[in-house]
This record gives sequence, C-alpha cells and structure tokens, in this order.
Amino acid sequence: MLRSSVAVTIMVSLLPLTALVFLAIESMGMDWGSLLTNETWRDSFVTTIYVVSVSTGLSLVIGTWLARTVVQKGWRFLSSVLRLPMFVPHIAAAYLFWLLFTGMNGIGWIEANERNYVTVILTYIWKETPFVFLMMLGTYEQLNRGYVEMAKTLQLSPFDQFKHGELPFLMKPLLDSAWILIAFISFAYEIPALLGVTYPKLIGVLAYERLSTGLYLEATEPYAVALVWTCLVGIGVFLSYVLTASIRRRIERGVRR
Amino acid sequence: MWGGDEGINSYIDDYVAPRLEESYNVELNRVAMDTAEFIRQLSLDKKADRQVGTIDAVWINGDNFRNAKEAGLLRDGLMERVPNAELLNETAQQSDAGTPTEDLELAWGNVQFIMHYDASKVDNPPQSFEELRRWTEDNPGRFTYPEVTDFTGNAFVRHLLYERYGDELDQKATIEDSFWDDLKAWSPNLWKDGQTYPKTLEQLDQLYASGEVWMTMGFNERRAEAEVTEGIFPRETRALVLDHSIASTHFLAVPFNAPNPDGALVLLQELLSPEAQLVKQGPEYWGDGTSLDLTKLDVNDQRAFEELGEGVTYPDSEQLLERSIPDYGPNVIDTVREEWPRVAK
Repeated sequence: MLRSSVAVTIMVSLLPLTALVFLAIESMGMDWGSLLTNETWRDSFVTTIYVVSVSTGLSLVIGTWLARTVVQKGWRFLSSVLRLPMFVPHIAAAYLFWLLFTGMNGIGWIEANERNYVTVILTYIWKETPFVFLMMLGTYEQLNRGYVEMAKTLQLSPFDQFKHGELPFLMKPLLDSAWILIAFISFAYEIPALLGVTYPKLIGVLAYERLSTGLYLEATEPYAVALVWTCLVGIGVFLSYVLTASIRRRIERGVRR
Repeated sequence: MWGGDEGINSYIDDYVAPRLEESYNVELNRVAMDTAEFIRQLSLDKKADRQVGTIDAVWINGDNFRNAKEAGLLRDGLMERVPNAELLNETAQQSDAGTPTEDLELAWGNVQFIMHYDASKVDNPPQSFEELRRWTEDNPGRFTYPEVTDFTGNAFVRHLLYERYGDELDQKATIEDSFWDDLKAWSPNLWKDGQTYPKTLEQLDQLYASGEVWMTMGFNERRAEAEVTEGIFPRETRALVLDHSIASTHFLAVPFNAPNPDGALVLLQELLSPEAQLVKQGPEYWGDGTSLDLTKLDVNDQRAFEELGEGVTYPDSEQLLERSIPDYGPNVIDTVREEWPRVAK
C-alpha cells in the first residue's frame, strides 16, 4: 500500500517535469524575440491576463463572501444550491451563456462575442465561484471566532476585524484556489472559443488554432508559448508561497496550539 | 473526416456503412475530426515512426492534401488497386487545387462554391460581389463569412481576390495592402459590426438558420436542399451565384500507417461505385456532385443520374458552369491565412 502510493506520488510529480522537457524540446529553434514583437501573440497575452485576473479575482471575492455569509448566518440550504454549477461541464456552461447572451433570445445589454470578453468572465465566475465557496466553507467552519471577537473588543472597524481576525487564516486556501483557477482559466479552450472573438483570441484558443491549421503544422510557436506560460505560472506559485511562508507557518502553529 | 454536416454524416452512417457490412463484412467507423487535425495526428505518427496507426481512410483536399503529400503521409498506387477508379473523371482526378494527385488520392466528389439567401427577407439579392458590398450597407449586420482558418471562409476571401486579380495571383502571390484595407473598411457593415466572425461554417449556418444573418455560403451547390426539407434552414432559401464560383474536387486517401489498408480499399471501391455516387448526389443525404465521368457509365446508370432532377435551392446549372473558376493553389490559401487577421483586428 505504502509503496504503491509512493510510486503514484513520484509519477504524478514527474509528469509536469516531463511535460516541461517535452515543451522545451518542441520549442527548440524558436526565435524567442519574435514572440514579443508579434502583435497577435502580444494582444492575446494581454487579453488573457485581463480575463484571468478579473475572473479569478471576482470568483475569489464572491466565493469567500458567500462562504462567510453561509457560515455566519447558518444558511445551510444555500450551500447545496451553490454547488450546482460545479456539476455543469464547462462546454455546457459556455453554450448556456452563449444562448443567454446571443441574438434575439438574448438579454439585450450584454452580448456574447465582443471584445471585452464580459460573457467569458461571467461564465468563469459562475463556474468557479462554487469551487472557491467549497474551499472556503471548510475554512470558515473551523475558523476560531476568538480572534474576531477580540478584534471587536478592541473596537476595530469591520474591515480591520476581517483583516486581522479572518484574513490570515484564509491565506492558504485562497492561494491554493487562486493558482488552481489561474492555471485552469489561462489555457482553457471551450469557453473562450465559443464566447470569444476572432481578434484578439485568448492564448489557449490561439495556440490550439496555430497547432491545428495546416499552415502552422511545423510550428514551434504554440509550444514555446505554452512553455513560457507554464514557467510564469510556476514562478508565480513559487514566489507567492515563499513570500507567505512565514505567516502561514505561524498560523498553522497557532491553530495547532 | 470532417463531421460538420448532418447530411454527410448520415450518408456515411446510414447508407454506406450498412452496405459495406452487408456486402463485404467490413465494419466502418466514422470519426468526426477536422482535416488539419488528423493530418497533424498522422504527422506525429510519422515522427514517432508508428507503423500501425488508427486511421484507415481519410477525406481530404486542398492545402491539407499538399501538406500530407509533402510529409509523405499517404499511400500511393490507389488507381490500380481500386477498380472503380477507372470510371473517374480524368480532369478532376488529375490535380487537387493545383497540386498533382500522383495516385495518392482518388476523386470522390465535385462541387462549386455557392451562396444561399432567405428570399422571404432579401427582396433583391445582389448579383455580384460589388453589389453584395452595397447590399450590406443597406442591411448592416445581416451578412458575414467564417474566419479564414475555416475552409469556407478562406474560399470566400479567395473569391474576392479573384474579383480583383483574376488568375494573375497564382504567378505572383502578393496581395496589395489596399485589398486588405478595403476588406477592413467593409467589416463595420457585417454581423456584430465585424468585431468578430463565426469560427466555422457550422456557426455561420447556425446564424443563418436562426435568422440572425440572411445569407450563408459553402462548397456544394446542392447543400441546402436537405437542410430546407428538414426545416433547419428557412423555407424560402434560394441559391445565389455571384460573378464567379470556385470549382473544387474533394478526395479520398489511405494513410501510410492504416491498420487495415485492404478494408480501406474496399471502402474506396464502394464509395466510387455508380450506385453510391448516385445516392450521394441525390437530395436525400448530401447532394454532392459525382466525381465519375458519366460517359464511362452504362446507359442505365447514366439515365439515373440525369433523372435526379433539380431542387428548389439549386442554382441554374448552366449559369453555375459558366461562372466556374479553378481554385488558386495552396500558396494563396496560406497567404490569406497569414494576412487576413489584420482585417479582424
């Protein structure tokens, strides 16, 4: 039992490394400078960062706020309702939102397939908020209310109560959820393919298009972009965990005590 | 094979597959896949030296064929192994959009590019590409074409190129900036103000079916008939032939690493039989023009083809033939793909 789980762990952790090596091999001979100067990739990059940060940011805020409200008010029924979107596949969610925001049947004031990617962001928020909610629910249920009570006794403002009494304990699950969402949203295909626009495309859609159209059969570009993006996310994960290491450690110890 | 058309899919699944099973005990599994995608799959197989692959036969043409040929992904010697290849129209069989077929593929069908419009909404349909431009000024948002990574969208732009350059372009293959500027200047009158384009022909067809746009397009002059009968396209759908129309042949081929190459040959033999070609051209499933030379068939078969008759969504066949033009080579397709994105910006 133990040995097999060790083997699985090793395989799982080696897989991303293998993927990186594969990407590096495939992107050999790449003119890296051209990636930066190429307008199509650059615009796609900027738009992707915008979509990823807005959707991830809002999902985190809304999901956390919902978990907090549910726990504080004891609204159990809400938690089962809120889970529903998690069972809808992304492609179905994309189609649902496309139907909601397209043409004559659609809700008039927002349209799918427009350059601000509003419907793409809305779809992601709808899909990912329940995930954040679930991650945060457990944290809030175990949260030691003593710190908030103390903050209240000290007559801190509601925001400061949250900042000192709750936020430090949310750090770990928030970071975990944030990086899962970022990694997932940034290279996803279905939702931006259906709800996005011809130009600029999100990076996952553009990379897939370049990989699958005849002209770019031998292209190294999409691999290079995937490599760059993976490294960026990797560095982000590493830095964010290193920078918050001391505070997280302090809290874990405090909780244990 | 490409799987974006219900009629085509059901021709394979409901007509060809049962016949193959019955007559030859060969099981046919249709896999819907974009052409460029299986070419990519095959080239990965080639790279990995995978001698027994997963695909027995493919439907292919144009730049995809050129890519497959250059990469050595197809088996040759089809002409002598498939007896019905004798019946093929020799001109159609010779070259695929400018690339010599060299026995690597067999012609399966012949079609021409055509537009369809909803006559209940469009009173005076345009007669030329120039008039189409003016029509969109009066009816903004009611016309669009697929992105040029799509086979049909790319072909639409090639028609506009032919309007400006005629067949000169094949020699020099440089497109002036002014052409793209004009195309960009046109975009505000298109669907969604030209902010975005349908990703595929299927999406354009969907927009047309829902009445959001009033015209659609595609290779195969008979493609709308089944859609109208089934109530998918508007009932008043009619054909529209503008200044010129690219004639295109599509082909069948066998990959270098087909796991069952003999089965594939049996399939090709069946698909090129006069009976299967007749049903393919009929309105019931697909409406795809035959690739056979009718003069090589016996009298009964010839008569059967003649008796297929006309559909309401078919264009005038003489006019269509008159305006038929050959396709540009793959270079132009590539150039359009490379340069068009500035129009969408």
